[in-house]
Order: sequence, then structure tokens, then C-alpha cells
Amino acid sequence: MSAAIPVEQIKTITMSIYRYDPTVDKKPYMQDIVVEIPTDKDIMVLDALHLAKNQEPSLSYRRSCREGVCGSDGMNINGKNGLACVTPLSEVLKRDKITLRPMPGLPVVRDLIVDMKQFFDQLEKVKPYLITKSDTPDIERKQTPEAREELDGLYECILCGCCSTSCPSFWWNPDKFLGPAALLQSWRFIADSRDEATEERLDDLEDAFSLYRCHGIMNCVSVCPKGLNPTEAISNIRNKLLTREKA
Amino acid sequence: MIEKDNRPVNLNLLTISLPIIGLSSILHRISGLAVFLSFPLVVWLFSVSLKSEESFIALSNLFQTSFLLQIMTYLILVGFSYHLLAGFKKLLSDAFGVGETLESGRILSWLIFGATFLMAIYFLTVIF
Repeated sequence: MSAAIPVEQIKTITMSIYRYDPTVDKKPYMQDIVVEIPTDKDIMVLDALHLAKNQEPSLSYRRSCREGVCGSDGMNINGKNGLACVTPLSEVLKRDKITLRPMPGLPVVRDLIVDMKQFFDQLEKVKPYLITKSDTPDIERKQTPEAREELDGLYECILCGCCSTSCPSFWWNPDKFLGPAALLQSWRFIADSRDEATEERLDDLEDAFSLYRCHGIMNCVSVCPKGLNPTEAISNIRNKLLTREKA
Repeated sequence: MIEKDNRPVNLNLLTISLPIIGLSSILHRISGLAVFLSFPLVVWLFSVSLKSEESFIALSNLFQTSFLLQIMTYLILVGFSYHLLAGFKKLLSDAFGVGETLESGRILSWLIFGATFLMAIYFLTVIF
């Protein structure tokens, strides 16, 4: 810690952190790193991680915007997934201790960094972009304010992966069940008044695994750092599948 | 050739928190499996009870004396009650979208646990 902080405004905390370096370690292990944090202000878990990294320069984690927009620093904080940059340390410290692990279910590249390939492979399957068939209008594809409102609670997803990696259905079938993040994006485009591929999108979801593996465990809703509700989106898709009239 | 992925995966279930909604959902599945597995026993006991008057009396006497049979019946009833109630929650969610927010999901889960607890106490007084 920098010497600028007066001694009486500092306390020590223990950060128990999942460590794994594939070039050295055969197995992952938990390392306790004691760091000094200021007591006159609250800091985020990510700030505490930086302090830990000052002591252990080999400690690895992803971070970029450090304000909950880029979705890089998703991790398992005291057993619950969340973004380190927007999680106040005071909310998660228990007896001056915090435990950090990588997001569950995905292969660990190193320390708190997981390989997100399976996650993004599933996202790719739902074609997360507007598909149109009609002629391109001269200026723009218009949308009423009401139709635009349908996308609230859907477009805000930052693809951090906290939801999908807290979902047991995704843990057991990461290649077949699309997971809450991809399904939220699927509904985002099904619900979009400008999209013209609703039927094809629904056809792609009509198998035993892609959508129907969701059992309403709702861990996704519990952990979403943006307060979104993938369970509701999945339910909306299910209703749409059940009520559509097949050609 | 596909190379085997030797990288570790953080999936120690004891370290991952399970919110109340998740717990109620997973117990729904476990109780469903347990009830399903106990089904042959229940059908067999039912068929024995219907065979004749003597076998019915013999079975009801066994119920009075066999602690094993009593505890099994108790567990099956509690498991079935829980599964039934959690099934209603699932139906409510599927049909009307009830319980799909964090708050309503939590309330419904607690209600199921509470109701199962009350039924478990009731069965306790009836069977033992």
C-alpha cells in the first residue's frame, strides 16, 4: 500500500485466492494474501485485488473498464458470481476475509481467468444481431417508442458470463444448453420489432437441450450484476414457442 | 484428433452459494427422483392391502409395529408433499409467469418450505 495513507486509517484483510499457473502447478490451490486496505472509504473488490497483485505480481485476472461496463472481471466472490469492479468490499468481507475463485464450470486458463470459449460459442448460436429480409429503407428501420421499450432489461447485458457460469444446467451441458446469457440475447432479438427472423430463431431453439434445460433454478437472476432477468426471458421464449402457429 | 482438456475447472459445489430459489428447485428434482424410486414399493403395499381382508389386517398390524415401515412411509409422504407443492410453483411460473422475479421466487420458495414443514409435523402425529 502506498505510504500516503495514515496508519490509523488502515486495516488488514485476508484474501483467499484461487491460484493456478499451468506452467508450474499440477493442481490449483488457495493462497492467502494479506493486504492493507483503507478504512476511511469503501473500495471495490477489484481495488483490493490490485493491492494483492502488488504483493504477488504473478496473480492474474481480467479487468478493463473497472466500472461494470466491459464485463471482464466476472469472478466467484465468496461463492457468488459478480463483477469485482462494482462489488463493494464492505458488502462481501466476512470477518475481514474474502474468498475469490474463477467463475465456475469453465476451464481455468490461469488464476481467476477462465476460457470463455464455450460461453461465446453458445452466444454465437443465437445469432445476436438483427436479421432482416425486407428491402433496406432509405434512412433507417423505424421503431415505435413502445416497441423500443420491449428491449429494456435485455439490451443492457454486458456478456460478463456471471449468469451462465452460475447455472447448474450450463455446468452439466455447456455445449448443448445455451445458457441464460445467450437465451437472454435470443429473446432480445425475438422481441425486437425490426427483426424478421423470429420463426427461424424459434425453430433453432426447439430441441430438448437448447432452451428446455432451464429448470428455473434462477441462480442467473440472483447473480446478474446488471439486475437483468434471464429466467423471465427464457419463459417468454417458451411461451412464444408454445403459442406460435406453425406454418 | 481432439486433445484432452487437462485444465482445471472450479466446480466445488461446497464453495458455491446456492440461493433459496435454487435450493427449492434442486430439492424438487431430488424429491421427484426419490418419489419415483419409491413408487414400486407403494404400489406393492397397495396391492397387498387389497388382496384380502387378512392381508389388509396383517399389513395394518405391520404398520403399527414396524418402525422401518413407518419411517419409510413418513419420508415418502414428506417427499411427495414437497414435490407436489414445488410442482405447483413450477406450474404457476409456466402458466402465469408467477415467481419469476427474485423477490416473488424467494417468497414462493419459503412458502413451499414452510408448508412442507407443517405437513411434515402433521404426518409425524398421524404415523408415529
